[in-house]
Amino acid sequence: MVMNHDTRVYDNIVEMLPDEANPSPMVRINRLGATSGFPLYAKLEWMNPFGSVKDRAALGMLRDLQHRGALRNGRGLVEPTSGNTGISLAALGAALGYPVRAVVPERVPEEKKAILRILGAELDVVADALCPMPGQTGGGTINLAKTHAKAQPDRYVMPNQYENPENVLAHFRTTGPEIWRQTEGKITHLFVSLGTCGTVSGTSRFLKGRNPAVKVIAVQPSEGHDIPGLRNTSELDVSTLFDRTLIDDIVEIPYELACVRVLDLCRREGLLAGPSSGLVLEGALRAQTDGARGLGVMIFPDGLFKYVGYIAKHVKGITEEALF
Amino acid sequence: MPYAHPEVLVETDWVKENIGKPGIRLVEVDVDLQAYDAGHIPGAVGFNWQKDLQDQLTRDIISRAAFEKLLGGAGISPSDTVVLYGDNNNWFAAYGFWLFKIYGHENVKLMNGGRQKWLNEQDKTFTKDKPYHSPVLYTAKPPNEGLRARLSEVIGASGERNPNLVDVRSNDEYTGKIIAPPGMSETAQRAGHIPGAVSVPWSTAVDKDGRFKSAEELAEIYLKKGGIDSKKPVIAYCRIGERSSHTWFVLKYLLGIENAKNYDGSWTEYGNLVAVPIEK
Repeated sequence: MVMNHDTRVYDNIVEMLPDEANPSPMVRINRLGATSGFPLYAKLEWMNPFGSVKDRAALGMLRDLQHRGALRNGRGLVEPTSGNTGISLAALGAALGYPVRAVVPERVPEEKKAILRILGAELDVVADALCPMPGQTGGGTINLAKTHAKAQPDRYVMPNQYENPENVLAHFRTTGPEIWRQTEGKITHLFVSLGTCGTVSGTSRFLKGRNPAVKVIAVQPSEGHDIPGLRNTSELDVSTLFDRTLIDDIVEIPYELACVRVLDLCRREGLLAGPSSGLVLEGALRAQTDGARGLGVMIFPDGLFKYVGYIAKHVKGITEEALF
Repeated sequence: MPYAHPEVLVETDWVKENIGKPGIRLVEVDVDLQAYDAGHIPGAVGFNWQKDLQDQLTRDIISRAAFEKLLGGAGISPSDTVVLYGDNNNWFAAYGFWLFKIYGHENVKLMNGGRQKWLNEQDKTFTKDKPYHSPVLYTAKPPNEGLRARLSEVIGASGERNPNLVDVRSNDEYTGKIIAPPGMSETAQRAGHIPGAVSVPWSTAVDKDGRFKSAEELAEIYLKKGGIDSKKPVIAYCRIGERSSHTWFVLKYLLGIENAKNYDGSWTEYGNLVAVPIEK
């Protein structure tokens, strides 16, 4: 048997990673705000082999390090992550034979920490900064990962998703072309959340290259939010990949709505989405209400399962309450 | 316009040149030792701000005897030049500097830009190796209480508007929108600030690379815009006394306000007082 996307037969899990020939699925929203003038499609990134949009950046960065010979002699990877990039790298490392050390902030969901340990990643959990400096959220994990790479250069190389242009290129090469093909060039609006900004920068650059009229709307949680992996623009100093010229509008959504929309997606669409997807949906629905016309695509970064504890913390009645 | 006491600052390049020279010692002071254990400047010993520099039973700075034990155990002599650096923009290193000065260590300096600047410079290295320094007998001086503001003095300063009080926390903490920075446990009953205190967040003192701004810029920020009278005594406070050490260092050593004190009790003490008013 040979690798074949039609029959879904592969020689190696790495071959399953998405690209134009093997795109992640797009599913139309039907019961939540369906209009003929502005249909909305969700691009389900949790259908990627390791469960999130980060599979794309992880593979791009890892391939680049391989090509540059940075992973020879048993050297592994160390990376700061809110979980998904670490999971993608750890799984790729498992398939390709590289050890991975992930540095995560304490507030990352327990499920993600457990998955990283199950995958065999060495894990550093960094206490959330005592009195963080505005704009430096994430500084502790980035600095600790850099420290490992600097103190043990023979053991670790750091891809550094916050500054690595391969993170942007991965989306320019895959996410953008996939959406263009899947919508037959009809996309008018892209809705995307902000984290490292690799997704928004790479996808936007590709789509605007094909059609400069495509509107790119970044959806961000309100300040003080606790949604894993997302950043408010006030926290974006850590990323050099944020390029405001590739974004038409930045919409701020009260972060509490993320969980409300997760329930809507699960209960009314059968889409088992995570909180960042809920936030992106809210941003798209607002554009719809404001009279947007055309065809909207929402990038749903990951799925529900890693956030059971997070949802239970924010929504009453999800877990059995203790009796007092 | 030079800093009032430029000798208390050294640059990362100077540290690189002077690593291992006799009489020069490096100490990394961090919120905990996770970062130090992962990698530090060769030859540096690591101090844990909470466990090594504070007495957890008395909620106080460590005693003179404990300070002597800590430094002697690290092989530091009173005549050594000690260069301090650390995480979080040198907050904890600045607290260490304040403590070293309280116990009269003559030659102590901060590495400008702290751990992060060194980390981001290609020509600088880190090691995981912990250095061994033979213990010495260290004799400290009696504590210089003149560097430390106590509650009674702060309450007096609040009423009289003298000394100047500087709140170095974020604007949201100063105005009472939040009690503690996001993600931190709220260790005070009330949100707001000490009546009469001006707000100059600590972060306004540094550039993006973590180095202190120029003397001209600092004078503009603290004296002109912040309204601090450099002829009067001044007291800096924050939430737990580490960010305010950073500002205290700026006021006393970079701007040369001789009578500058750090109120290490800070908001976790003042914000919990019974029958003492605050402002929002």
